[in-house]
Amino acid sequence: MVKYILKRIGAMLLTLFLIMTLSFWIIRLMPMSIFENPATPPDIQKLLMAEMHLDKPLFVQYLYFIKGVVTEAEFGTSVQIRPGMDVFEILASRIPPTVLLNIMSLLISIPLGIVFGTIAALKRNKATDNIISFLIVICISVPSFVFASVLQYVFTFKIPIFPTLYDTQAATFAGTMHSLLLPIIALALGPMATIARYLRGELIETLSSEYLLLARTKGLTRTQATVRHAFRNSLVPIANTIIPLITGIMGGSLVIEKMFAVPGMGGLLIDSIMAGDHFLTVSLLIFYSTISLITILIVDISYGIIDPRIRVGGGK
Amino acid sequence: MAINPNETVLKVEDLRISFKAYGGMVQAVRGVSFDLKRGETVAIVGESGSGKSVSIKAIMGILAPNAVIESGRIEYDGMDLTKVSEEDFHKIRGNRIGLIFQDPLSALNPIMKIGKQITEVLHLSKKISSEEAKHRALELMHAVGIPEAERRFNQYPFQFSGGMRQRIVIAIALAGDPEILICDEPTTALDVTVQAKILELINKIKEERHLSVIFITHDLGVVANMADRVNVMYAGKIVESGTSEEIFFEPAHPYTWALLSSMPDLQTKERLLAIPGTPPNMIYPPAGDAFAARNKYAMKIDFEKEPPSFKLSDTHYASTWLLHPKAPKVDLPDVLRARIERMKGAK
Ligand SMILES: Nc1ncnc2c1ncn2[C@@H]1O[C@H](COP(=O)(O)OP(=O)(O)O)[C@@H](O)[C@H]1O
Ligand code: SF4
Ligand SMILES: [Mg+2]
Repeated sequence: MVKYILKRIGAMLLTLFLIMTLSFWIIRLMPMSIFENPATPPDIQKLLMAEMHLDKPLFVQYLYFIKGVVTEAEFGTSVQIRPGMDVFEILASRIPPTVLLNIMSLLISIPLGIVFGTIAALKRNKATDNIISFLIVICISVPSFVFASVLQYVFTFKIPIFPTLYDTQAATFAGTMHSLLLPIIALALGPMATIARYLRGELIETLSSEYLLLARTKGLTRTQATVRHAFRNSLVPIANTIIPLITGIMGGSLVIEKMFAVPGMGGLLIDSIMAGDHFLTVSLLIFYSTISLITILIVDISYGIIDPRIRVGGGK
Repeated sequence: MAINPNETVLKVEDLRISFKAYGGMVQAVRGVSFDLKRGETVAIVGESGSGKSVSIKAIMGILAPNAVIESGRIEYDGMDLTKVSEEDFHKIRGNRIGLIFQDPLSALNPIMKIGKQITEVLHLSKKISSEEAKHRALELMHAVGIPEAERRFNQYPFQFSGGMRQRIVIAIALAGDPEILICDEPTTALDVTVQAKILELINKIKEERHLSVIFITHDLGVVANMADRVNVMYAGKIVESGTSEEIFFEPAHPYTWALLSSMPDLQTKERLLAIPGTPPNMIYPPAGDAFAARNKYAMKIDFEKEPPSFKLSDTHYASTWLLHPKAPKVDLPDVLRARIERMKGAK
């Protein structure tokens, strides 16, 4: 198991390096000058360029960049959004709202998805299942920003029980959550439906499996057999859907943050791309990739914990 | 428990089971009757699809949700098992009647430790402590011939070979200490060499634990060493029943002849005589004898009217018009006659 985890971490670091390289080159090859501000006098511009190695060939800049990241976790300086500010500091201030929003969406969608998927599978082809399955299709096919608009319209305008925008001044955590609830729900519906749909399929398959039949012929009641044999086995493949789910939430979050004026990473990424703040963009991309890779790592490891075929097979 | 050889432990009477399907009702079992006496092994033999598994799933109360028991009774211990509620049935399953599945590869939960799959039922139904349950499980594993049971206890199904998994399935079936053991094609999915060992094991535990066994197979060849009595099943009906001797040496039904002829013969290495054609569509079972379309001895009446059961001896019955007094005399096919003579000689 330890070897399995170390292998995974090694692979993750390698991937991260490749992503860093790719982001750097793709963003830096974009036809946009780092300094677009005509107000900065040319000689000062020159000075700054020299200071940030921007006068050197791109490949040399790349080496400086990698060296900075690896040796002192130095990602560069913002030149447009917050000129002169360390990119890492900007990130740090923007991470909490995004993480809160994304984690909350995930934490809501997983248990609810499991509950609905289980109910649908147990009531297969009955009215309950048909209703749930219909809602699942809607939640999967409608993008989160549409839900966001609807929620915003209904609950901030028609029945104004929630604030329209994120409350940056909220004194308490409850206050913050109050203003974050609509974006959280908007983001959670899709992943919740995805989980419910997968679990329903998996559970229906395990419920008709031979080993479930054997569990019942042993003398287990239907409920005991379902809980002990069908349920856990159906969760194993669900672990696989968590990865696309998280990246999906982060992607949806880009737009949702803008809609609710949440001062998070999503809005920042869009702004920095538009403004051509290349160092900031590159570091944001790296940040997003790191989050995804860590999720994949966690899912892979927990996969090994739930499924002995992976654990025992790879643990020698 | 004193063994009274004539005591009937289980009696199936005129069982009819259909399945709701898109094209109509699949009439999988059409009036099956047989009984099981204490301490004996009764075989049910028939091609795939003849309704063997459905019949025994009815006995275990694990029919698929789309099944309908149209009529019939399954008498066991003063109960009619077709009427027992799901809440009560789990006390019978495993504890009174155990089942061994056809495919040990899919019958075990792939992500649960072998030991837990055996002890689970002990915990849940017998309420005994963990150590005691483990002790019992190890005993069972020894009994079914698993070496290094202590180490194997904490392994998973994928670490076992097919034969070993079938032994585990048998251990699980025995864990509840049942009096009836139903084996549904227990060796079909296994290698020939492993088959013989599993059959031997079933016979051994049957003796040791005084079990009454219902043995299902599509291979008459397997039956000879296992069963006291044999029921031959075709298209949802039992077409011939008798003692093993009667079925092997004096078969009366052309379907039994066909089954006997299609048995691989290791001595002569003669070619298998496959039964021509396929079993009928059970949504529209044919009028008359269901086997008529595949039977070269079929007469006109066979396509029109179902044959009644003719009694050949106190223990031997067959449903074929050939036994009707007015039917033309048909002799056993020569190949089969020769084969039976050889089998008699070998005995
Ligand atoms: N759940 C089901 N729904 C519809 N038909 C079924 C179902 N289970 C079994 N059958 C049909 O019942 C017939 C008998 O099946 P089975 O008892 O499994 O045969 P076997 O003798 O090979 O064990 C087959 O024609 C099969 O297709
Ligand atoms: S009743 Fe007719 S069709 Fe059926 S087995 Fe006998 S001879 Fe053949
Ligand atoms: Mg079968």
